Amino acid sequence: MAEVMIAMRELKKVYGSVDGEVRALRGITLDVYKSEAVAVMGHSGSGKSTLLSIIGALNPPSEGTIEIDGINIYALSQERRADFRREYLGFVFQQFQLIPYLTAMENVLLPLVTKRLPNRQKRELAEQVLCRVGLAGKMNRLPNALSGGEQERVAIARAIVNAPPVLLADEPTGNLDSKTGGEIMSLFRSLNEDGLTILMVTHNPDNTRYMGRTIVLKDGLLCHDKAEILALAAGRGQRRGG
Amino acid sequence: MLFVLLGLTIGMATVFAVYGLLEAMRAEMMRQASEFGANVVITHDRGEMTFSYGGIALPEVLFDVEPLTLADVAAIDYIPSRSMITAVAPKLLGMASVNGREWMIAGVRPQEEFRVKPWLRLQEALPEAERKMELDIYWLDLARQDPTKIVLGDRQVLLGSAVAAALGANPGDRLTMGGQEFVVFGLLKENGSLEDEQIIMNLAAAQELLKLPQEVTVIELATDQTRGAERVLLDDLAAALPEAQITSLQQERLRRDENLTRMARFGVSISALILLAGILVAALAISGAVRERTREIGIFRALGFRQSHVARIILLEALLISLVGGIVGYAAGVLAARAAGPLLQIGTLAVPWRLDLLAAALLLSVAVGLLAGIFPARQAARLDPAEALRFI
Repeated sequence: MAEVMIAMRELKKVYGSVDGEVRALRGITLDVYKSEAVAVMGHSGSGKSTLLSIIGALNPPSEGTIEIDGINIYALSQERRADFRREYLGFVFQQFQLIPYLTAMENVLLPLVTKRLPNRQKRELAEQVLCRVGLAGKMNRLPNALSGGEQERVAIARAIVNAPPVLLADEPTGNLDSKTGGEIMSLFRSLNEDGLTILMVTHNPDNTRYMGRTIVLKDGLLCHDKAEILALAAGRGQRRGG
Repeated sequence: MLFVLLGLTIGMATVFAVYGLLEAMRAEMMRQASEFGANVVITHDRGEMTFSYGGIALPEVLFDVEPLTLADVAAIDYIPSRSMITAVAPKLLGMASVNGREWMIAGVRPQEEFRVKPWLRLQEALPEAERKMELDIYWLDLARQDPTKIVLGDRQVLLGSAVAAALGANPGDRLTMGGQEFVVFGLLKENGSLEDEQIIMNLAAAQELLKLPQEVTVIELATDQTRGAERVLLDDLAAALPEAQITSLQQERLRRDENLTRMARFGVSISALILLAGILVAALAISGAVRERTREIGIFRALGFRQSHVARIILLEALLISLVGGIVGYAAGVLAARAAGPLLQIGTLAVPWRLDLLAAALLLSVAVGLLAGIFPARQAARLDPAEALRFI
């Protein structure tokens, strides 16, 4: 039986607002297995981004527990949690989120800055991942000198340079045309085949083809309504955000 | 961050311009004090104090006291601290009648006298027409009179400006005093001091005119304070001239020092205020920059940067900007101080480049920068990464 990488138990998240409480998550229980690729879909406001930020050790749940590789991440101190993010998680944000005044190489080096490694070794690691994502000749370019697809590749390289076991991606193809989006998804599949556990929030039903499993969130809960899941997977009734 | 750099640079420049100016003014005053003017006045210490010379009370000069003599003047040459004395100017003071009016006679050694009184100037014997064309700026001549050109014959006199005006005398005119005829060698420019009202002649001629052979009323000494301790000099003089009253004009210098100290305190206060303002401006600017970089900080935190790493980034940036601000500010301060000398009408000041001050500027600037960066760094470190990433 496959080993569980991410174990969520009764995750709840309540945000306070002037209009009262907002229940973003109302009790999510889910296991993600090692080397599994999971697509997370759902309408806007369904709790996808909240779930991703909780898994990303960025946003403590109001109730429930989450363990990654057997570590209860919210039992860790703030600083230890930062170390955990560096060692266990890679993030690919919406709209790439590269630092505009750093070159592709420097952006990829960022997660290594706080690691105790010789600079030469850090550069070698960064070069390896940049080659892996197909940017061997563009390492010294600033983000604005790269196409959208290339920027996405830099973002992926930055996410995997530390060789984390888990990759979290939020709408990675949202700003790309379908061809480039397909290339990026192929890259994700290739990384998954190499053993990386991937959890991806997406609105694009096409992307689910590259993932091993698709889960759907509805009103802060896992949706088990087959008709709704099929409708989303078929691309009907989808809205952006979430 | 440009505002931070600008604020720090202006703050540092102001501090070091003020400091440079004050230091240069102090050095210049010390130089002038040691190079120009009499620092010690020797008179006799007995008799009624009925006579004043240059603000210093003198013993009754014409009678009733045992006067100083040329032997006392000669004795000064043998004191151990003689090397501190740059000029010895003995003089005999008395009164003489010219054209029915009493004038003060000063018998001096002219070259020594011009050394201890650098403000004395001879009027040039210009043609009348040319004299009328003189501009005021002509009188701003600061070059001291060359004492070697003041060679008075025994029957020659220099007239103070007031005397010359009252007598209507010009160079080459003849005056009769005590039955002796004197030729006017030259006229002194008006300088607002005692000399305006004096007839100056050789010491020997005055002694003969006043019938006081060998006698001296006062001995003025110019001293170089950099060559030794004034206290030692005064003790040596007291030992060599036990009957004399020796007055140091150190008081005058102390008064100047006191003024300078007041100015320094004022400068320090202004500098402290500007530095304080600099810290606030820098803190606000860094804080603003932190707010603008919320997204970036969120990314750093998501990538595994600890709170301390984020704080270190902000402080490191503040440190680098401070170092640049310190260097540029120090350079600007020195240049501003040099430029301020002529503007403040205190001449060209020597404000040198000093490594110790550059180091002080760097230290101060870094301290200010770090102080200004502490709050924004804490602010950045405490940013909730989830909140920061909501902007994404």
